[in-house]
Amino acid sequence: MHADAERAARGSLARVLATGISPEDLEPDADMAERYGLTSLNKVLFMMSVCDEAGVDLSCFTEHDIARLRTLREVADALAPHCGKAV
Amino acid sequence: MTPVAERPGTDSLINRIAAGLPPAAGRIRWVSLGATESMELAELAEQAGRLAARLHELGVGPGDRIGILAANSPAWVLLDLAALRLGAVTAGLEPHKFRAPDELCARYGLTLLFTDQPSDHPAVRSMAEVARLVEKGGPQPGLPVAHYPPDAPTTLKFTSGSSGRPKALAATAGSIDLSLGAVQQLFGHGPGDDLFVFLPLSLLQQRYWVYSALLFGHDITVSTYEAAFPALARVQPTVVMGVPGFYETARAHIEAQAAHDGTSADEPGDRLRDAARRLFGNRIRYLWTGSAPAAPATLDFFTSLGMPLFEGYGLNETCIVSKNHPGAHRPGSVGQVLPGKEVLFDEQGVISVRSAQPVARRYEYAAPGDSERTFGPDGTVRTGDVGYLDQDGFLFVQGRHDDVIVLDNGRKVMVRPIEEFLRADPAVEQCVLFCVDQTRLVVVVAPATDPADEQAVAERVALANRTFDHDERISRFIVAPEGFSIGNGLLTSQFKPRRSRIREAFRQQIDDPDGGAHAR
Repeated sequence: MHADAERAARGSLARVLATGISPEDLEPDADMAERYGLTSLNKVLFMMSVCDEAGVDLSCFTEHDIARLRTLREVADALAPHCGKAV
Repeated sequence: MTPVAERPGTDSLINRIAAGLPPAAGRIRWVSLGATESMELAELAEQAGRLAARLHELGVGPGDRIGILAANSPAWVLLDLAALRLGAVTAGLEPHKFRAPDELCARYGLTLLFTDQPSDHPAVRSMAEVARLVEKGGPQPGLPVAHYPPDAPTTLKFTSGSSGRPKALAATAGSIDLSLGAVQQLFGHGPGDDLFVFLPLSLLQQRYWVYSALLFGHDITVSTYEAAFPALARVQPTVVMGVPGFYETARAHIEAQAAHDGTSADEPGDRLRDAARRLFGNRIRYLWTGSAPAAPATLDFFTSLGMPLFEGYGLNETCIVSKNHPGAHRPGSVGQVLPGKEVLFDEQGVISVRSAQPVARRYEYAAPGDSERTFGPDGTVRTGDVGYLDQDGFLFVQGRHDDVIVLDNGRKVMVRPIEEFLRADPAVEQCVLFCVDQTRLVVVVAPATDPADEQAVAERVALANRTFDHDERISRFIVAPEGFSIGNGLLTSQFKPRRSRIREAFRQQIDDPDGGAHAR
């Protein structure tokens, strides 16, 4: 995983979940909905937050792209090519 | 009753739209994650006229049914308006609830079905085709102008249903007129307003705001569900049309952002207000919630931030019955009853709603007896909810009649206040109360945290037992291994817990005298 993207993704997911779980305890390959109860609305808030932190424009992603991202690793990998390209 | 083609009718609101009368002002904007489109409402009306002409050439006429099975999009809005221009009946089919376009054509007698799902059926058209049809030519000279009598349906709307195939209601033009007129009287939407809609357009109530824009000249933004939060701050709407689950999520986000961003020098209230404005923008006049009861704490939260959140009451079968609004609101109530609606109570406090223009008088595609259980001969709807009117006419809904537990001592337990009390704890996301043997109350709790904080749940249940009456004492609690969700079938698409399914899923533990944990 791209280090900056992973760090942003871990921090943002922990904050959105608001369960007290620490960013480093999040499992990169766990299904975020099944393992952490991430709802579809919270998933968008998570993506807003992580894009903000990683300097990525959320509009790089479509609704279908977001729906396909199931794990932290997939999110970090999807962010990596766009890191630093935000407008 | 089938709509007839005749002179443009301006006698009713819906007929003004059917007649294609251009709005004086206003814009419509569509937002998805990657794109924003916008046009004048006058242009929208013009495009709908062109699409109506093409649909007429494809054989659609008054009373014919057009299905729409797709996510929110410009094509959705245009199809709905074009159908009104033709006197047709739309069937709004929610993509998460309906599949198999081919079967739907036969099941619901659809002349055409537009969808973003693949199909080779001759009556099924792609949503992408709508733009091509609009571009294909001008308005058809001599196209008859539709006029809906008050009892004629404009749309089939589908109820969530607790199980099985959804039932349908053929919603009448008169009922839409009544609701649109009453809401406009309360809220005075007009130029300067921008109403934000993100719930599926397959829900008729969401299309009301498009009709309202065309009639009253305000702006409207239609977003996909996924783009709602990202779009809000960018669009800066004045009104957001949401449901409790949406506002609960927004509240949690605002609180987390305020905690994350703030410094010790900031006032907590200021941090929350800043975070709320970052999410919703700076122009919010009010927030609308419906479809399910909102938590009192969430109503208070937004109101305290200067974004009043107004709750109302209504079912698919009744449309909007009452609503808090800037001119008359009372905490804990669902507002005063709207003009044209009347609420009646039986000896047990069960609410029935009589309407000057009923939504429908029966269900379609329902099991035998379903209609008779809900509808009286004059269209009066037995809601199954229990409530009362206060001396100023504010309606208070205490719970579903089905949710009233009658104990073996004859006393009644209203489950909603207890469930709301439990849900106010950060450890509890959802909960549903059941009664075993008409004596003991057992609550199934969906935890808000992972792993579940069972200690916090136990303490909250103990606090409830000290707070409520002896008859309302909870004997045991069961912590569900995962939250209730639409995906696992334990929430409806309106985010309401499915009591019967939750009962079934946890039957063994509920019925076992030692199932779950004993409450203090």
